[in-house]
Amino acid sequence: MDPVRKRTKDLSKSVDSAHLAPFPDEVLEKVLSLVKSHKDRSSVSLVCKDWYNADRWSRSKIFIGNCYSVSPEIVARRFPNIRSVTLKGKPRFSDFNLVPQNWGADIHSWLVVFAQVYPFLEELRLKRMVVSDESLEFLANSFPGFKVLSLLSCDGFSTDGLKAIATHCKNLTELDIQENGIDDLGGGWLSCFPETFVSLEVLNFASLNSDVTFDALERLVSRCKALRVLKVNKHISLEQIQKLLLRAPQLMEVGTGSFQQELVPRQFAELETAFGSCKNLHTLSGLWEASSVYLPVIYPACANLTYLNLSYATLQSDELSKLLPNCSNLRRLWVLDTVEDKGLEAVGSSCPLLEELRVFPADPFDQDMVHGVTESGFVAVSSGCRKLHYVLYFCRQMTNAAVATIVKNCPDFTHFRLCIMNPGQADYLTNDPMDEAFGAVVKTCTKLQRLAVSGLLTDKTFEYIGKYAKNLETLSVAFAGSSDRGMQSVMEGCPKLRKLEIRDCPFGNEALLSGLDKYESMRSLWMSACNLTMNGCRQLAKNMPRLNVEVIKDEESDDSEADKVYVYRSVVGPRRDAPPFVLTL
Amino acid sequence: MTTTDSSPSSPPLSITSSIDSSSHYQTNSSMETSSLLPTHLTLGLSVSGPNFSQRQQGSADWPPIKTLLRRALANNSPGSPSSSSSSSSCRQLRQTVDNTSGDNSLFVKVKMEGIKIGRKIDVLALHGYPHLITTLENMFSTPNILWEQYCHHKKYYNVLTYEDQDGDWMMVGDVPWEMFLTTVKRLKITRTPSPSG
Repeated sequence: MDPVRKRTKDLSKSVDSAHLAPFPDEVLEKVLSLVKSHKDRSSVSLVCKDWYNADRWSRSKIFIGNCYSVSPEIVARRFPNIRSVTLKGKPRFSDFNLVPQNWGADIHSWLVVFAQVYPFLEELRLKRMVVSDESLEFLANSFPGFKVLSLLSCDGFSTDGLKAIATHCKNLTELDIQENGIDDLGGGWLSCFPETFVSLEVLNFASLNSDVTFDALERLVSRCKALRVLKVNKHISLEQIQKLLLRAPQLMEVGTGSFQQELVPRQFAELETAFGSCKNLHTLSGLWEASSVYLPVIYPACANLTYLNLSYATLQSDELSKLLPNCSNLRRLWVLDTVEDKGLEAVGSSCPLLEELRVFPADPFDQDMVHGVTESGFVAVSSGCRKLHYVLYFCRQMTNAAVATIVKNCPDFTHFRLCIMNPGQADYLTNDPMDEAFGAVVKTCTKLQRLAVSGLLTDKTFEYIGKYAKNLETLSVAFAGSSDRGMQSVMEGCPKLRKLEIRDCPFGNEALLSGLDKYESMRSLWMSACNLTMNGCRQLAKNMPRLNVEVIKDEESDDSEADKVYVYRSVVGPRRDAPPFVLTL
Repeated sequence: MTTTDSSPSSPPLSITSSIDSSSHYQTNSSMETSSLLPTHLTLGLSVSGPNFSQRQQGSADWPPIKTLLRRALANNSPGSPSSSSSSSSCRQLRQTVDNTSGDNSLFVKVKMEGIKIGRKIDVLALHGYPHLITTLENMFSTPNILWEQYCHHKKYYNVLTYEDQDGDWMMVGDVPWEMFLTTVKRLKITRTPSPSG
């Protein structure tokens, strides 16, 4: 049914070879098609020409970490049989409003090529791309077998685009819309799924703001028997989620709506039963404004939970302490800092299998907050959860000693992202810079892949990072360092560095140019509000023609300053869709 | 807390300011400049390292949390009486935050002559000219920013000016505060040479 293109046999080859050919091409392709990871696939393609070709013809999934590093035409030429595309666009700091609107990363030109070359495209996963309603409609009408649409941190579309998807994608299995900047014109899109449509497995519309027609949702959930992920938005009430759970007890991941409805005891009991009936439930999120009064309805499901996302519930420490003993199987926990250190102590004592913890600030802008979490909460978690390897921690105070203890308890960190919210803040007990904290992290955690640093940091921190962080791939730096030497240390070390993002640091042209040998082996470099000048950037561009050196000009700054610089490797040269405020040097 | 020399020569970066004292200032919004000597503001500097007090004003890009979560936290409406008992204090705090940050902000660039890196300030988060002055004094660690009200004090020599919608540079303080907010595009602190130098 699906015509996979076959390459024409190269007959001359079999005539010439006096020895046995190692594998017939089809066998090699079959074997290689079992190699799934795109990094492994990339390695496979570098072995020899035969393997390059085998990979080329058998590859069905492609991952492009920077949409401007390559063109859709080149992709189409090399890989004729793609079914699944993952594309990432804007630099990560665009999440924090550092990239102006209309910067680029529009998906449309890609879709036009794909429609011609990959009519059997099934999956499109986009992150930080611009997607218009027109593009969504084009997508819905161009790929009859389309199954998976995942849009993460994208913008440019409205719910009208979703209407097109719901209406035309007859084989859709996944619709995952997360954290996008979209125009929510109403919930009518959900009603566009025809009554004959039954294939949905994943539906996530948690970040959309308007009401959907509950009836339509309930019917949709009822008839999609393979539905395993359902994440609704906060307009769905507790009573409604109960009805949905009854319709779909097979659900594995649930994102509830608002948890604030007033319930009578009967409704409370019904909710408890509903959660209890979901035997496969391992992920729970949503819980908007959940409070201690109604949180217990989820207790029957807690024993099986491996991922609990409480980042929209302003829980206090005692509420969390009551909840967590029910959740001894947790691997991933996301909370707000309203739970405070005491809540984190409960994490440490109740969740020994925890691998990932994220603590977000509930009131990020109030500097006078005496609440939130401190270093003791983090230490408490590390002491009870020895398997912890991923942390994102927002706090207002930290000490070098605490971090040293934390990594001693948990030496297997792969992702260590610490955000001391007051920029340039020292160890509050000793008044020393936080250099030794991150020194301890990189010396102890040899598997570290991702690091975000904060607090008062001198060049010493970066010397440690350059020297010890052998597996580091992603580094985020803000308000840190003393001189060019800092960034230079990183560029001279960190052999596996792929992504470096820096803001508000005293690194200048010398630092930028010290990375000349490194940038082609990296995906990208971002530097904003540092000490770069246009001349420095021009020098980099001149010396490295296969890099795109883009400067985003700030209208109010000096002509010689390079306020925001984005450097990335590309095989297609300067991009042709750059807006007037982006200068490619 | 220790006192430190806040002159530009000691810290590695040319931008220093006192975080702790200015954060105290943020909440005492009705305090007038005249009652707070510049020297008071430099006390409380606990380290002579780069400090970035600008960030205290709830910038749109710091701390690094995504827009969706940021909006959800800023716009969360107070809960119904039955559920708000345990988190009412948090909600109250959130309401105050809502008034000073979140969706209502106007960031203008501030440059001080001689300092390469400009800063940004949310003028809508300020309560008036005195608040603006002391915030800038902290931000650039310079006492005695001169504005309209004190221009007769000849020994002060950092002059604060702003560019208005017409592109003209005016002395800050020449119009009422509310009008200033509608017309300010960016700010500049110029350093006229001291009489002795």
